[in-house]
Amino acid sequence: MEIKTEQFTEAVKRELQNARSRAFLKLMPPVLHMKRDISLATFPDIPAAQAYGATIREEAMERLPELLEEFEKNALANGARVFWARDAEEANAYITNLAKERGVKYVTKGKSMVTEEMGLNEVLSKNGVEVWETDLGEFIAQQLHRPPFHIVGPAINVPVEEVCDLFMKKANMKEPTLDPVKLGYAARLFLRDKFHHVQMGITGINIAVAETGTIINVENEGNIRFTKASPPTQVSVMSLEKVVPTMYDALHLIRLLCRNCTGQKLSAYVSMDSRPKKKDEIDGPEELFIVIVDNGRTKIYQDLKARDVLRCIRCAACLNICPVYRQIGGYAYGWAYSGPMGQVLNPVLLGLDRTQDLYRASTLCGACKSVCPVGIDHPSLFLYYRAKDVLGDPYFKGKRRPWMEEHIFKGWNWAVNRSWRWNLGIRMVRPYINKNAAGGVIRKLTRSFDGWFRSRDLPPMAEKTFHERWSEIKEGKG
Amino acid sequence: MKKDVSLFIPCTVDLFLPHIGEATVSLLRRGGVNPVYHPEQTCCGQPAINAGYQKEARQAAKHFIEVFGKDETVVSPSGSCVCMVKYHYPELLADEPEWRRRAEDLAPRVYELSQYLVDVLKIEDLGSSFAGKVAYHESCHILHGLGVSEQPKKLIKAVKGTQWIPLNAADSCCGFGGEFANHYPDISEAMVKDKVDNYLACGADLLLLCEPGCLLNIGGYLSRNHPGKKVMHLANFLAGNGREG
Repeated sequence: MEIKTEQFTEAVKRELQNARSRAFLKLMPPVLHMKRDISLATFPDIPAAQAYGATIREEAMERLPELLEEFEKNALANGARVFWARDAEEANAYITNLAKERGVKYVTKGKSMVTEEMGLNEVLSKNGVEVWETDLGEFIAQQLHRPPFHIVGPAINVPVEEVCDLFMKKANMKEPTLDPVKLGYAARLFLRDKFHHVQMGITGINIAVAETGTIINVENEGNIRFTKASPPTQVSVMSLEKVVPTMYDALHLIRLLCRNCTGQKLSAYVSMDSRPKKKDEIDGPEELFIVIVDNGRTKIYQDLKARDVLRCIRCAACLNICPVYRQIGGYAYGWAYSGPMGQVLNPVLLGLDRTQDLYRASTLCGACKSVCPVGIDHPSLFLYYRAKDVLGDPYFKGKRRPWMEEHIFKGWNWAVNRSWRWNLGIRMVRPYINKNAAGGVIRKLTRSFDGWFRSRDLPPMAEKTFHERWSEIKEGKG
Repeated sequence: MKKDVSLFIPCTVDLFLPHIGEATVSLLRRGGVNPVYHPEQTCCGQPAINAGYQKEARQAAKHFIEVFGKDETVVSPSGSCVCMVKYHYPELLADEPEWRRRAEDLAPRVYELSQYLVDVLKIEDLGSSFAGKVAYHESCHILHGLGVSEQPKKLIKAVKGTQWIPLNAADSCCGFGGEFANHYPDISEAMVKDKVDNYLACGADLLLLCEPGCLLNIGGYLSRNHPGKKVMHLANFLAGNGREG
């Protein structure tokens, strides 16, 4: 998938002008957030349920290497085959090769963020293997050649009129309709035909269970179930952090995932697969491949602070509550992952140098942290990345900041631990600031503050600061 | 002998909004304690840590701890500055055990103003009155950072003659975020516009909040675009019966 994280500001401007995106964003994220609240209320103790999720993921991260080995051992014993891919290229090459060896003409795919990250679809297509996304939203996004707008609902912003046009052209729909149910049915009919003859299906994995070697997918459309059960060859791809110790842990994460994601107590389908079909069984694939993708995660894992981003279970609660996402939508983040979870994950996967806007375009309001079911502290990670960036940290490729900014903070630092310098600085700066005041307000300063003054005023600096007034206030005159 | 309470005056208040500091003094006196001010205080370091300058922020933290370290109680009319001291200092000084210990030792003694009045002094009615309708903006660091939400509401609801007006999306960020507002004006403006639109739509005469940063942001936007409408720090509202300064 093309990386456009450096075009953040341009994309923001574009999206803020996009009336359709704006109308959608006013409505949908708040509704999803409200549904989340309602479904969470079915827990007897919401904070405890969320904290339990954080503990499960914390333990999984603590024990990640051994859990992955345990998972592999059990998956192999069940008859699955496991491939470890160091990066996207290795994973893509392996999967492409599987398809070629079997003479596969096309694959059906279940929704999967990691294959989005890997750019698997592009690689398969280039190698002559057609790819059919079978999640309704993914199918629409794929046919429109658009990146995901939301990590759970990738085409959730596309209006029905556009979907209708698209399905008339590309999904054999006979009659135009604006009825979402009928549109969904048209896609179902079209894709059902693909499932009939499919030779290879590719899905992601929501949770991998170490103690049983089971892979779990959570979905609402049944297309993942089809993709896993219809073809003779099933390929399931997971980024390496998806593993949890026990089935008991997995079940609690499913409870949290569904509630935090779509506001459901349970999604319409939860499929748990451990093995290819046995000789006497009717359903299931003849062979099951599990691809475990690193693609930069071991590097993240080795940094004890950044490691926390690997807890994420992709529920998107942080997107739905984020005041920035609610303004700009998913495109501006410029890659597979958007919203706060993307803002903490993309920088350490791609490098701090080309994702500066992702970890800086946050007010640090903490709404994301307040809803996260696995205890990720997004604002703290933003501060961590900003600090690494300022230092030009080589590990995560910090870029350093503009000369001017560095010098402003040097000056600030000179003054901050000596109050006489601090107050001297204030007395020196005040006339320069206040000469811009007119009618009791400042409407403009130097160009570097245009961002603020474009639509906001500032009061002038006080003729007497609180510090300077204290002697009067102390006497009770203030 | 009245108990001394140390004033932690945010630099935004010191430089641009000193009347918030004065109102804080007045409320603490009404609450029966004696506000004291250390003139050696400067800035808590929030702008530096937010911009990624942790070495510089560490300097500010150490200075703050030197100045306030012995105080029994420290009170500030800003939630984000309190969050900085309570939560960021120990993390910032993690590699220096003695400083970290001092930061952790100080943290529980630092309070946001409304939190201190209601939770510690157990005061809700400060004898204020205001005939009019008010709404309240839940600043992010107060709400998510400190978990303070009921305290300001209790103080507002105890004001005689005041009618409480619910504000739509009261808990969504106003778009300040320090450097964010200047670096990402497109997003920030969209956020503050939503906040102000909700305020205008709710029919309140006055919007109240407990965070100087949000006050500069919302106030600056109102001053430019809706000059008749006011936003006020809760301290001024309570101390001046709805009149600033």
